[in-house]
Amino acid sequence: MTGDIPRRLWRSVFRVGWPRTREARLRAMLSSLVLHVHPTRVRAHVLRPSYTLGLGLVSFYLFVVLTVTGLALMLYYVPHPDKAYRSMKDIEYAVTFGMFLRNAHRWAAHGMVAVVFLHMCRVFFTGAYKPPRELNWAVGVLLLLLTLALSFTGYLLPWDQLAYWAITVGTAIVAYFPGLGPQVRYLLLGGYEIGAAALLRFYVLHCLVLPLAMALLVALHFWRVRKDGGLSAPPERLHRRVLAWPHLVFRELLVLVLVLVAVHAAALLFNAPLEEIADATRTPNPAKAPWYFLGLQELVHYGAILGGVVVPTGLVLALLALPYVDTHPRGVGVWFARERRTANAVFAVVALAVVAVTVVGTFFRGPNWAWVWPW
Amino acid sequence: MALAVTIVWAVVTEGRAEWRLLQHRYASLEPREAAGEEGGAAGLQQIWLPDLDRVDRCTSCHLGISTPEHQDAPQPFRAHPGRWLEIHRPDRYGCTSCHGGQGEATTYRGAAHRPIPYWPEPMASRELMEARCGTCHRERRPKGTDWLARGRALMADRNCVACHEVPGHDVAEVRAPRLDGLALKVPPSWLRGWLKKPKSYLPKSRMGDFRLSERDVEALTAFLLQPHGQLPLDRADWSKADPEKGGELFRASRCVTCHEVNGRGGTLGPALTHVGAKASRDWLYSWIRDPHRFQPKTLMPRFRFTDEQARDLAAYLSSEFGDPPRDFVGSDAPPSASLAKEGRGIYEKRGCYSCHELEGFPSLARIGPKLGAIGDRVLEPAPLAARGIETTLPNWLFTKVSGPERVLESARMPTFGFGEDEAAAVTVALLSLRAREAPPGRTTRDPAPVPYEPQGEFGALVRRYRCLSCHTIRGSGHVTATGAPLSTVALDRIGSQLTRAHLEHFIARPYGVRVGLQERMPHLNVLPEEARTLAQYLSTVMVDDALEKAVPTDPATVARGKELFERHGCIACHIAGEKGGYVGPELNGSGARLEPGWAVAWLLEPERWKPGTLEPDRGLTRPEAEALAAYVLSLPARKAKGPGR
Repeated sequence: MTGDIPRRLWRSVFRVGWPRTREARLRAMLSSLVLHVHPTRVRAHVLRPSYTLGLGLVSFYLFVVLTVTGLALMLYYVPHPDKAYRSMKDIEYAVTFGMFLRNAHRWAAHGMVAVVFLHMCRVFFTGAYKPPRELNWAVGVLLLLLTLALSFTGYLLPWDQLAYWAITVGTAIVAYFPGLGPQVRYLLLGGYEIGAAALLRFYVLHCLVLPLAMALLVALHFWRVRKDGGLSAPPERLHRRVLAWPHLVFRELLVLVLVLVAVHAAALLFNAPLEEIADATRTPNPAKAPWYFLGLQELVHYGAILGGVVVPTGLVLALLALPYVDTHPRGVGVWFARERRTANAVFAVVALAVVAVTVVGTFFRGPNWAWVWPW
Repeated sequence: MALAVTIVWAVVTEGRAEWRLLQHRYASLEPREAAGEEGGAAGLQQIWLPDLDRVDRCTSCHLGISTPEHQDAPQPFRAHPGRWLEIHRPDRYGCTSCHGGQGEATTYRGAAHRPIPYWPEPMASRELMEARCGTCHRERRPKGTDWLARGRALMADRNCVACHEVPGHDVAEVRAPRLDGLALKVPPSWLRGWLKKPKSYLPKSRMGDFRLSERDVEALTAFLLQPHGQLPLDRADWSKADPEKGGELFRASRCVTCHEVNGRGGTLGPALTHVGAKASRDWLYSWIRDPHRFQPKTLMPRFRFTDEQARDLAAYLSSEFGDPPRDFVGSDAPPSASLAKEGRGIYEKRGCYSCHELEGFPSLARIGPKLGAIGDRVLEPAPLAARGIETTLPNWLFTKVSGPERVLESARMPTFGFGEDEAAAVTVALLSLRAREAPPGRTTRDPAPVPYEPQGEFGALVRRYRCLSCHTIRGSGHVTATGAPLSTVALDRIGSQLTRAHLEHFIARPYGVRVGLQERMPHLNVLPEEARTLAQYLSTVMVDDALEKAVPTDPATVARGKELFERHGCIACHIAGEKGGYVGPELNGSGARLEPGWAVAWLLEPERWKPGTLEPDRGLTRPEAEALAAYVLSLPARKAKGPGR
């Protein structure tokens, strides 16, 4: 009887053994918490890498990497101005795998911002936001904003010159918003200046509030995908399905491995920057926001209200309103559908403009925000 | 598989971290130690100093640093040179306090052995490390620091504290003449030449070159030649003056002890090589009669000359040293009075009032920035790039100190004409002034000076004859640019060192105790009763009970002393009897000169009483020293007049 215990232990966890029959494969998807997120069968069309590029999945994996590395870093980092910088040095030099963890965290963060943006572009260009997927698109926009917020709050934590002044610029842009702007800034910083209160708030936001919100919205995002009938596809491809196990699950595993390899390689090859300790009396010239806000900073240069308020608010509202305005079901599930030429063109232009101002702000602006050639 | 590769790669990279490899290497060199026994090192090493806010991990790689046996080990395992770690134990001071660099790092590059970006405190070279000594050692002359002590002394000598607030320096130390009554003292030509370039008149001038334009010089001359606080000069009958006698008196009084003439002499006072071209005869006469009337804070004593002597001396100075320096010619035309107002403006703008007092001129704020945190000053990206010099703080300070106009054309700071060594010393002293002071438990300072103000008759004499210009008593007394007083004889315990009779005799007529001595006490013409008062006071008050010990004088002791005298070869440096060397004082007749207790104390520990003395420490016991002293003090004076008397 006792020889039975290991087998019974195993069985209680893994209700279905390694699935080999069709029936087993169907049941496997329902048998575990992680797997039952998936449907038992998926459309073959959406499995093609050239369709989704796996971008949404990559975003999610990067979030997981960030959570894991972030938790590890939380064991060593101290969120107080007197100790933050020193704790970063400790992580870099004294903690075993500390530099690797930090690099992984930073490159995964930058990667996630970029990938989330690309994922949004993919969803647009394949018309996958159209009804019944309007809400999911809105959730996606919120997730984009959360990603930017997470990156922003994390940016301050090293408490070096780069961090301090980037957040100075960023929160200054926030304050441009008419009426509530200065209040929001005060709320973010816990005061008028960036100090211990600001660091602690950003830390709490970055490690607790925003990840929780992100996790909930991600869960909602995945659930809505199921509820809306899976990933979108063109009408003629709607009905050909394959089993999730192995086709979906193994592809997901492959993407995971690729993401991990990429993150590891980046972490091993490139070191995250750490400048001198933050000094409120010494402003670098130019003081630049984090790269994903440099487009905004460039626009602010042309006009504070324009760059800081009109454009970002306008863009966000436009994105949110999009699926409620453009409901015509044509061109869903295909890249650059003919019928959606105008919409695609407009979006492409806007997206490229966003990229362009960001590139300008990153490479072509020097001291006093004067134009410089980067070579 | 790629994943496996990257995971393995990460692990290997960590496993082969620089410090781990070095520790393995050390283990192979020193298996006993590395096994974790006493003094062994295993794993990351760290010295954490909360009060200094430093975390130093240097010893993770520098494993042999505290082990003297590792003097010849290969780097980085070599022991620290010298005895520094005995004085500054690593567990109390860490490494970066002295060396700079990034202590938190565990890689060669990260530790900033060479400068790296984003770490503002690179490791210091040997000379610049002295600046770091100065962050804790706030005294004026920290032991063992050549550059730092010299730099601080130079800063005191050049009156930096007049224009800049400098920690460790007091505005009371500023030394510069009052500018009252210049019109009666100097001709306009001299003043013009001086203002244009002080060193053209006085090569060793402490006043810097203010790089004034011709117009500024004119205006300042006009302003300064106004009758500010003018005192009337004394009159003399010049027809009766005898410059020859004046010259004899000049030499007998030993004026050159303080005043350089034709390239030789002291620097306590200005060189007199061209004084006749500068000061009027009447002024020289008035000055010699009573310098304190014109400059209450002058270091010069008021010699007791008769009016005739003063007159002859003034005539000698005026005629013998009447040629102006070559290339020092200026117009003697009286300056335009209308420029005086402008001159006053320049006087204020360039901060002349910071050093010089002037009747009726208010004392205003300092014109220079505070230097309290100059060692941490952050520079603009490349101010020295135009000169092809790398922009570092030491370079910037060195350039500025050597020539302020090289850093900023419109600078108000004068050019002091420092040599390279001097500028480097001042740079080191400046670099020691940091924004964040070392915590009180770590700093050492000079004790707060207790001003010594002797009273009564003695005090009046000390003030008249300016004893404290050359000698120190209880730490008070003038200190020269080298950081030491002019005379090596402190008067704190002179009463226990020299007999009263000798003191009286010497003060009345100073002579060279050591034949080879260049600088000797000037002959102040002190009156006999004054010499008596001074000697009486010094013998009674300036004593040290520890030295007041009698010495046996019985023949046996003296004989033993003679034996010791011959055995230790004292005659090589001292004259005793008819022969001997000229290095030390003659010993014949020293019984009348030296107090016995002092002779013994000196023989026992010469280095203690006069650091750097040539007198050797023979390791004598007290009885031996007493015997030797007894012998020396018994030597009779020579009948014939010897040298120097």
